Amino acid sequence: MSILSYNGSAMVAMKGKNCVAIATDKRFGIQAQTISMDFPKVFQMGPHLFIGLPGLATDTQTVMEKLRFRKNLYELKENRHITPTVFASLVSNMLYEKRFGPFFVEPVIAGLDSKTGEPFVCNMDLIGCPNAPEDFVVGGTASAQLYGMCESLWEPDLGPDDLFETISQALINAFDRDAISGWGATVYIIEKDKITTKELKTRMD
Amino acid sequence: MALAEICGFKNFDSCNNGILDTNIAKSNFNFTNNLELAVPPYSNPAHMLAQLNKDETGREIKIKFDHGTTTLGFQYQGGVVLAVDSRATGGSFIGSQTMKKIVEINDFLLGTLAGGAADCVYWDRVLAKQCRMYELRNRERISVAAASKLMANMVYNYKGMGLSMGMMLAGWDKRGPQLYYVDSEGTRTPGKVFSVGSGSVYAFGVLDSGYKWDLTDEEAYELGRRSIYHATHRDAYSGGIVRVYHMKSTGWVHIDNNDCMDLHYKYKEVKDTAENEII
Amino acid sequence: MATERYSFSLTTFSPSGKLVQIEYALAAVAAGAPSVGIKASNGVVIATENKHKSILYDEHSVNKVEMITSHIGMVYSGMGPDYRLLVKQARKMAQQYFLVYKEPIPTVQLVQRVAAVMQEYTQSGGVRPFGVSLLICGWDNNRPYLFQCDPSGAYFAWKATAMGKNFINGKTFLEKRYSEDLELDDAVHTAILTLKESFEGQMTADNIEVGICDQTGFKRLDPSNVKDYLANIP
Repeated sequence: MSILSYNGSAMVAMKGKNCVAIATDKRFGIQAQTISMDFPKVFQMGPHLFIGLPGLATDTQTVMEKLRFRKNLYELKENRHITPTVFASLVSNMLYEKRFGPFFVEPVIAGLDSKTGEPFVCNMDLIGCPNAPEDFVVGGTASAQLYGMCESLWEPDLGPDDLFETISQALINAFDRDAISGWGATVYIIEKDKITTKELKTRMD
Repeated sequence: MALAEICGFKNFDSCNNGILDTNIAKSNFNFTNNLELAVPPYSNPAHMLAQLNKDETGREIKIKFDHGTTTLGFQYQGGVVLAVDSRATGGSFIGSQTMKKIVEINDFLLGTLAGGAADCVYWDRVLAKQCRMYELRNRERISVAAASKLMANMVYNYKGMGLSMGMMLAGWDKRGPQLYYVDSEGTRTPGKVFSVGSGSVYAFGVLDSGYKWDLTDEEAYELGRRSIYHATHRDAYSGGIVRVYHMKSTGWVHIDNNDCMDLHYKYKEVKDTAENEII
Repeated sequence: MATERYSFSLTTFSPSGKLVQIEYALAAVAAGAPSVGIKASNGVVIATENKHKSILYDEHSVNKVEMITSHIGMVYSGMGPDYRLLVKQARKMAQQYFLVYKEPIPTVQLVQRVAAVMQEYTQSGGVRPFGVSLLICGWDNNRPYLFQCDPSGAYFAWKATAMGKNFINGKTFLEKRYSEDLELDDAVHTAILTLKESFEGQMTADNIEVGICDQTGFKRLDPSNVKDYLANIP
């Protein structure tokens, strides 16, 4: 039993046309036992920047706090918001620092570049190998199922509404085939002048 | 054929029959006798199998098969109620959300499955066959006590070799409604209230607090349903559909199937309105 | 180390509230070879005198104008050995930044970090302040930058400035000659003229150094290139 699947989680981020979306499940469990159904795993790191940290729940929180610390220092030092690309490098660098005793999280990053508005999605393994493709990224215990769903549902240049529909269906149908994730879901749609947060109605078993 | 006769081949088919039959029997154990499974050729297979479960570094090899369930059964004044979920998992992957975990052995006998799915399904089929054989030989249905003992004895032969099953047998025979628990360790015991599987602790929580002998039929169904629902909610390896069966003097009746998602939002609505009224 | 507890900082306040060690350091800078920096609309130039005492000296082998990253360059007035330590540190800090953020260090960030190092040497035990002032030029955010870093750790953003020997004359000269819409070529010309103001002897491509920074990055001008600029000077 891998420590990465001790708590269970499912996460996905997708690019759209001038927008990005990131969606997560809400379960916090200890192996088979579901403890809570409103556990935050996605965090806002800037006006157009979100990071999700699926994996071991205690590391989700620790890594989030360490990243917030580094991001705040950056903002104070440089007097500007951190861009998604720079933030991804920061995360990657921080995770590799613990190459021989890693944090058990597989980050998923989604954001819009503050200057150009260019959509950006990126995920990493637990020691920070970055991957920033042109379509979507996934993470968590349902990642195999998520790849299947995204591969068949995603298409280029989706508008915010279609992107929401696509990412929601991908997430729900993926974690419905995973025993240790699900129990509610949250979707964030990031547009240049608006961020929409939506709660999804899902199976609760 | 003429040539065969000249060559001295009197009967081509029958001259091979004996060898073929023994070969079939040797290499296809349960093809001819379904109580006999292939086991490694050691004098004490159970002992050797335990060692085979380790790899060259001494780490345990885990054979992954479908696992994780919630099933329950209880007796009350109206007979026996059985309720089960329908999820089948392999590791954390959900293989099926619609598995039938109650086996209809005959009109007066039901079995529930928990543990290794293949083990349960296979041995329930063998049990069904044995029960039918008994019926044909003796011109009366087998008692639940006898059926459960057949099951217990069959799986006891393979004790320690990795069979994994925990089942309940519910029936109605000459002596009235019956409920037995049988598992692959060799346990066989009659009782009033059972719950088996990874979600059983959650099910017991609801079941024990709501159980009494004088339950009406509807109350009994709802208690079973609710117990399974709560187990599916908390246990990751239980879920899908809640199936409820009732064993009556006239034989079993399938009461209903309910999707866990529908149940959740139905119970939630009732709970939410109740909370609002208090405020 | 136990001895560390007794190695007090040499930079100690005088009763009148001055840090005389820093003032001495500034004096060392003011006695050093002059250097100038000018921002233009499309770039920035830094230049310095590099005179040699002997004709046997091999010019263009040791440089005063140094590249820090592809888009930042540096020059100094004061003590050469101190300068080289700061160049080494600055390059290291720029690479460290790039390693973490995968983005070239902004000039402002580099200046702040170099200045922090210089400040540390005014307050630590067992060390002395740097005997140099730095001119750091860079290009990012689509515009030029020009900074001066002093031994105290203070730093200033300039449109144009002069340091080292005769810096007051240099600054006065720049105040007269500077205009906002200068082109980089004109700025190089003006920088050389500013050096010439206080230059003793014949100015050649072998005894001055010029570095420019624009959109394409930082580079030190070849002697042949400097010669062309000198040709235009009366």
